Amino acid sequence: MPDFRSLVSFGPGAGRKLKRLALAAARIAVGVVFVAAGAAKLGDPASFADSIASFRLLPGVLVSALALGLPPFEILSGLLLAIGWRRSAAALSVLIATGLFAAALVSALARGLIIDCGCFGSGAPSAGRMWLDLLRDLVLFAITAAVYADSLPRHRRATEPQASSPAATRRSPKI
Amino acid sequence: MNVSPTRVFSSQLAEVAALAALSLLLGFALNRLSGRPLVLTYQTPEQRLVRQLGELVKNPPFKLMGSQTLGLEQFRRVLAKQRPLVLDARAASFYREGHIPGAFNLSRENFGPDYQRLSATLGAARDRPIVVYCSGGSCHDSKLVAGALLSLGFANVRVFTGGWEAWQDARLPVSR
Repeated sequence: MPDFRSLVSFGPGAGRKLKRLALAAARIAVGVVFVAAGAAKLGDPASFADSIASFRLLPGVLVSALALGLPPFEILSGLLLAIGWRRSAAALSVLIATGLFAAALVSALARGLIIDCGCFGSGAPSAGRMWLDLLRDLVLFAITAAVYADSLPRHRRATEPQASSPAATRRSPKI
Repeated sequence: MNVSPTRVFSSQLAEVAALAALSLLLGFALNRLSGRPLVLTYQTPEQRLVRQLGELVKNPPFKLMGSQTLGLEQFRRVLAKQRPLVLDARAASFYREGHIPGAFNLSRENFGPDYQRLSATLGAARDRPIVVYCSGGSCHDSKLVAGALLSLGFANVRVFTGGWEAWQDARLPVSR
């Protein structure tokens, strides 16, 4: 019979396992959200360009470049994040993107613009939806920040004995 | 080996930049392969419509049939009985010099902006007969404009083949 006690018990390793599991689930979820957002925009770059232009932040040349480049960027970074390959770079990509999306939405709200962010394809412009989009971006940003922090190499190394630490030196044979 | 956090962050940023460059290349490649590519300098929906209308009039998918052309006498009968919407397909400068009374200028040369300017008039005339003319003789502008209108869903479109030349030769009234 399988031992389920390790799953329900709160032994020394259980908290760490649970955290690892939660972070993996969050990483996959954010990755899937990003892939879906990119795929929704990929088929209609003209509508997405209209959404970007409505923010009134970028010149015409950059609007088209962003409308063409951002959907593949979201799909690729979301895919990398979900599968866990080049995890730190993928998490940093998502972190930068969500940070910029949130900043653009805050800037539009501050200027009183009622627009459609085009985040998941085109839709009707509404102030209420802009606040919800901002909230979703901030939640994604916070989750991705936790995933990114966990993926940094210092976290893994902190739990391993250092070659130069006194304990490691004591264990290593003298040559 | 102990790697400094700055170095780790720099290498991650380089990977993000590489991903962004790859995405941009992919985006441009997909755009090139697409049937309706996005132009590289952003155009508003109105500007895009003008461009698409301009492309439509160059080679309209719906062509005019032989039975949809009118000679001078037929045109005069249609004018008297059916009160059609008459459209002058010549350039604005020729239209200003003189045109058939009541005709609107929907030029082949400036089709997109003219179509937008006349959108209310054209919208109201969807069920009315429309007759298009140009200089006359072998001019093609009236056929191209009529073809574009047929492609845009106007069903009752005909061309007055004699055009401005036949109208003037018959010494009929002129508006300026």
